[in-house]
Amino acid sequence: MHLQFEIEGGDFSAAGEASSEVKKTLKQLNIPPVLVRRIAVALYEAEVNVVAHAYRGVMEVDISGGGIYVKLKDKGPGIENIDRAMEEGFSTASDKVREMGFGAGMGLPNIKKNCDEMKLTSTPGVGTTLELTINF
Amino acid sequence: MKGQHYVHAIQVNTEKCIGCSHCMQVCSTQAIRIVNGHARIMPERCVDCGECYSVCPVAAVYVKDDELELNLQKFIYKIALVPAVFFGQFPTQYSVSQISSAIRKLGFNAVFEVEHAVDFIKEQYVEIAEDAEIARPVISSFCPSVVRLIQVMFPSLTENILRLKAPHDLAAIYLRHINSNSNINPEEIGVFYFTPCASKIVAAKAPEGEDDSPTDVVVSMKLLYNKVYRIIKDIPLSDDLKRSSTMEPDSIKWALSATEREYFKGRSLAIDGVENVIKFLEKLESGHITDIDFLELRVCDQGCAGGILCPGNRFLTVERIGERVKKLQNRLVENKEVVNPLMNHRELLEKGCKTEAIKPREGLLLDDDVEIALQKMKKIKALNSYLPGFDCGACGAPTCKNLAEDIVKGKANMSYCVFVQRVMEKNYKLSPEQAFQTIEKIWGKDRLNKYKDNHGEKES
Repeated sequence: MHLQFEIEGGDFSAAGEASSEVKKTLKQLNIPPVLVRRIAVALYEAEVNVVAHAYRGVMEVDISGGGIYVKLKDKGPGIENIDRAMEEGFSTASDKVREMGFGAGMGLPNIKKNCDEMKLTSTPGVGTTLELTINF
Repeated sequence: MKGQHYVHAIQVNTEKCIGCSHCMQVCSTQAIRIVNGHARIMPERCVDCGECYSVCPVAAVYVKDDELELNLQKFIYKIALVPAVFFGQFPTQYSVSQISSAIRKLGFNAVFEVEHAVDFIKEQYVEIAEDAEIARPVISSFCPSVVRLIQVMFPSLTENILRLKAPHDLAAIYLRHINSNSNINPEEIGVFYFTPCASKIVAAKAPEGEDDSPTDVVVSMKLLYNKVYRIIKDIPLSDDLKRSSTMEPDSIKWALSATEREYFKGRSLAIDGVENVIKFLEKLESGHITDIDFLELRVCDQGCAGGILCPGNRFLTVERIGERVKKLQNRLVENKEVVNPLMNHRELLEKGCKTEAIKPREGLLLDDDVEIALQKMKKIKALNSYLPGFDCGACGAPTCKNLAEDIVKGKANMSYCVFVQRVMEKNYKLSPEQAFQTIEKIWGKDRLNKYKDNHGEKES
């Protein structure tokens, strides 16, 4: 099962629509509810990252009997220092973004906590790619 | 799939049902289809919220409750367990004691107000709020339709549902206990609960997380209202102002919206109305909303004052209950303290107040096997892309996507869609006769009678 969503940078009102759709799909499969929630939380955080930091992005989701694989590729400023970005509480979010309740620096650590595998690659000035795997 | 048997109070009388599909359009869990000219409710999806009952133009959707008269004969000692919203159905010229007298006149030995148990629940909430082990947000278990809605549509939130019995159950446990020392055989003591909604009937017949309910008979509040109304004018007005209040004044507002939440320490929200509840839970389950300690959710707008079995106007009921709270508060000033008889039996209630964990239901599942479910999902997606997407409902399902799901489940086929039908006819894949039969299968045989073509001759 393959799903694909376009994500618009800066569109905070729509942030979370893609991850909600994925969650709705998962609820129709016999997957432990706890796992559905873990996936929902990870994908929401990942989606918000694109909205808050990038210009635009694409979320590609592949679901099989064994698990879910998600690839989020964005065009944006990229991440200078991935190790620092993974630290809890570290954020480069602008004041404007923080005023909207985002940018607490918990996004990436929270994603990692909810996934079985996570891979983050980035080219500063070009964009970031985040790959997640959660096994059923 | 497990194929569990689910009990429901909302039923369709096919004799009366005209297959107008109003109910199908308003059902929040897409649990209704039109089959053979009548509405059919899918038991695995229905949460007994009663939206369908409210829109049915011919009263074909009904609430199955217990028989009052027969049960009054069956028991020797009869207790009426009445919620505060019942007293709120009557104009303020009638006092609570007058209404209670009227209920006793109908054959009851005692009348007890459900909300006495709320004082006990308030104490429990203080303890529960301190327990960091319980998953946040804690979701109130008060509204049985909310519990079922979560089981069906938000299975991952079932662990957040508070494992505490509802006020009417706790009040019934107390009533059974205090009457157990009398000379009457416990089996001959009948606790009759009068309900403002359908879901509380289901909660009493098939409680979630409980083996058995302590109530014996559950009857619609509408019936009691009519019976009381007929005799209340003849009941003398008694002066009950001197008596102490038997519960904390605001406990009688518990079933409405936004009182319960005040008693749970931390950040709490009160949400009423089924669509509002669904939208909020959707966001909560997706992780968009965090850091909330407690959620008070009611499927009906204005809480139980908006219950489908409440004959009065919900806003007037809320106003009257508010007035009564003020009256009780004044009485409190004069008499100083609340004397709630139920609170002398805390230990008994503490032992019996918890429920088992609430388990998810299978209403959304396509198959137990993930691989097979994925295959079905692919088919649904493919079929859905062929359907027009207007959700016209002419196929007997509320949305095109629901039709696609029904087809994959083997309960419908592509020709149910009137648009697909036209194309099939044009391509000689379906004869006009077959198309006609398909429409009859969904909407019933008699449905097309009025369009009979008499070849230009008028029927006399």
